[in-house]
Amino acid sequence: MGKIVPIKTQRAEAEKLAAAISEIDGVKAEVAERACGTNPRPVVLGNSSPESWRALAETLHSEHGVDYCSMVTGVHWPEGDGDKKWEVVYHLMRTGIRNPPIEDGLVQPVIVDPSTVEGSDTPLELELHVHLPDTRTPSVDSVQDIWLGADWNEKETWDLVGIDFDGHQGMRRVLQPHETPKGFHPLQKQHRLRYHSFQDMYDDSQGFMRKPADAGKIK
Amino acid sequence: MAEMWISMGPQHPMTHGLWTLKVKVDGETVVDTEPDLGYIHRGVEKICEARDFTQITTYCDRLCYASANTWSHSYIYAAEDLLEVEVPERAEYIRLVAIEIQRIASHLMWLGAYGPDIGNLSVMVWCLREREMMMDLLQELGGSRMHYNFPRVGGVKRDLPHGFAQRARAKLKLFLNRIQEYEALFDESTVFLVRSQGVGYAKPEEMVNHGVTGPNLRAGGVNYDIRWAHPYSVYSELDWEPPVERSSIKGADCYDRYRVRVEEMRVSASLALQALDKMPGGADTHHEPGDPMILAKAPTRAPEGTTGAHHFEDSRGESMFYIAGGGEGRGKQPYRVSIRSPIFITIPFAAKCMIGYKVADIPAIMGSFDPCIGETDR
Repeated sequence: MGKIVPIKTQRAEAEKLAAAISEIDGVKAEVAERACGTNPRPVVLGNSSPESWRALAETLHSEHGVDYCSMVTGVHWPEGDGDKKWEVVYHLMRTGIRNPPIEDGLVQPVIVDPSTVEGSDTPLELELHVHLPDTRTPSVDSVQDIWLGADWNEKETWDLVGIDFDGHQGMRRVLQPHETPKGFHPLQKQHRLRYHSFQDMYDDSQGFMRKPADAGKIK
Repeated sequence: MAEMWISMGPQHPMTHGLWTLKVKVDGETVVDTEPDLGYIHRGVEKICEARDFTQITTYCDRLCYASANTWSHSYIYAAEDLLEVEVPERAEYIRLVAIEIQRIASHLMWLGAYGPDIGNLSVMVWCLREREMMMDLLQELGGSRMHYNFPRVGGVKRDLPHGFAQRARAKLKLFLNRIQEYEALFDESTVFLVRSQGVGYAKPEEMVNHGVTGPNLRAGGVNYDIRWAHPYSVYSELDWEPPVERSSIKGADCYDRYRVRVEEMRVSASLALQALDKMPGGADTHHEPGDPMILAKAPTRAPEGTTGAHHFEDSRGESMFYIAGGGEGRGKQPYRVSIRSPIFITIPFAAKCMIGYKVADIPAIMGSFDPCIGETDR
């Protein structure tokens, strides 16, 4: 039958990693369960203060073999708690991938048998949250030099959400036009869609007529 | 010789969509590159904040026109994690069939586009011939040719139609035979071999650090696959192995990336065939839409503080959705939807890969990474 990583191995490794990073000042981590379809899977769910984020990232990369940055998400919470007006969510992974060895001048492909992986080769999934207090210039330390995969993720987060990354080299607009006005970041919550809800969009009998308020406006 | 910047795109056969690659050249040699994206940025993430969980599926279909089904499924798995829905097993098998057929169609589209990219003009029509069969199958499931809107939160829109299993088996078996034709067309074409071999080397560790996954990574000689590393769906019930390519010492070149995708089509066809055989309740039975066998009841609201995330093996690498609940209408809409596009992360890496090669190698290297700009710009 199909070989997959046993959930027991993954949970044991996740617990070990969560306990290890919880010892860093300002970091709290636990093992949470995410479900997808029919099977649950363990995830290391952590919370870090902005000050200790950089140290945590370095530890994860050098000591725990977390070698892959999947996604960086910025969230704007204008009505959130006092120290959670902005949030940065990092989705990281441990893949355990090494370059295949070379024997007799030939590359030998690495065929991992998922059902027998153990120790630091076990694939793991991490989700780390960094909360930022109320400020007009939210920023958090960049991890661009640790995981190159975070490079464009950080650019996108700044472009769309407006969270800046200290120490990021070459920050620029990636999805929006280069001439976008400074300070305009569309995923901040004060910007609303023109037709925000479904009802706004289709509230007339025909369903496609423009709303009266739009008459004479250039769309 | 003096160095200069030239701009390839936004309209250029190499780009497979709308984007610009700025290339710094020294004579014929590429010395620096800078990709420039965002030409078809639609703001899908912002639109999703104003739609409820069922409506978002259609937007996710339209993220990638070559691989619509995998994208809507990627979203649905994250939404099911958020809303805590348990999916019926039969629905999981139907989804697996739909995803794997879509993966074949997506790879065929890539193969058909990659041939003309590097001078083998006849493969385009051969690949589209078989892609048509896959599109017919998907049309039977979803009802339209490109954007199926097939999965639902908690299951699928419709059960397999009457006679679908028989037609699917016949077409997939025919397709498995015809893969040999592509291999003959490519592997015996001198112009293809000369242009794809020995260019665009990439090593696995470097690719992981850059966030490149999927077929591009497996071409480097490692069998990492989200489908076994972070299992979802019913892949554990089926007999399969992710295809791996034996790369050269310098890493995977464009030819390896072509080989691994051809092998992956074989694996996908076999997965779909196995899923049809093992379908709970049998592949020939048909349930009405909304039957509990294919669609579980799902809540429509996600309270504040809930989150859902799912890593998914897309045709081009790891795609991912992160959804925070608790938007408007007491959680009827998501507060924030964040999309990870594999190609958005791969394009900067591919642009680095071509440094040191000739200008004429750029289409060969860029095309081999399978760019899709719809999902990149979102």
